[in-house]
Amino acid sequence: MMRVLAIGGFLVGLALFGLVEWLARREGSKIPTLGELCGYVMRYEVGPVPVGRIGLFGFWWWIGWHFLAR
Amino acid sequence: MMEQPHDLTVDAPRTWERPVVCVPVLVALSLVGGRFPSFSTEANVYVFGAGGVLIWLGLTKRVQARPAPERLRSGAVWWALPVVVFGIFEGATFVAAAGDDFPTFSRLADPLLEDRLVRSAAWLVWLSAFWGLVRR
Repeated sequence: MMRVLAIGGFLVGLALFGLVEWLARREGSKIPTLGELCGYVMRYEVGPVPVGRIGLFGFWWWIGWHFLAR
Repeated sequence: MMEQPHDLTVDAPRTWERPVVCVPVLVALSLVGGRFPSFSTEANVYVFGAGGVLIWLGLTKRVQARPAPERLRSGAVWWALPVVVFGIFEGATFVAAAGDDFPTFSRLADPLLEDRLVRSAAWLVWLSAFWGLVRR
């Protein structure tokens, strides 16, 4: 039962990502796409250090290592 | 010949940034990555190598970037919904540490990723998204 709950929860989470992205791509939407959101985060810099870029690149690198290398 | 104001000129993407070049390259890299099983030295070297090159490209801005928005539209808060739902289940399953009875997302994904084709598809998703980030 708990296993079904976990699988259902993750599927709902993934479906929500798809739903929000679909809503964002509609004409005149007030929701930014995930790409625009990432682009905005990646603009964040502290002095000369591109903290936003480093943070997102590092997170995605870790995701790849976590799922594909271990 | 009249010189164009700099703001009105648009740099054409380099040859290797065009989809006709980068898509087959990403597919080929994914097929190679899909051959390496989890916990293998090859998989670790490949992930660190591919990720390292992409991060280098992204930080040195050698790839033509798309313009980023200066401010977010008001609906950006809707992105919190999938993040929170996913985060609650990932956090709960991780803290419970109940194994297959209440599995984390990665525990659910592991058996699927043992299949070489699924693994290659996962590689393609990861590399394509990474390439998308580099171009931001």
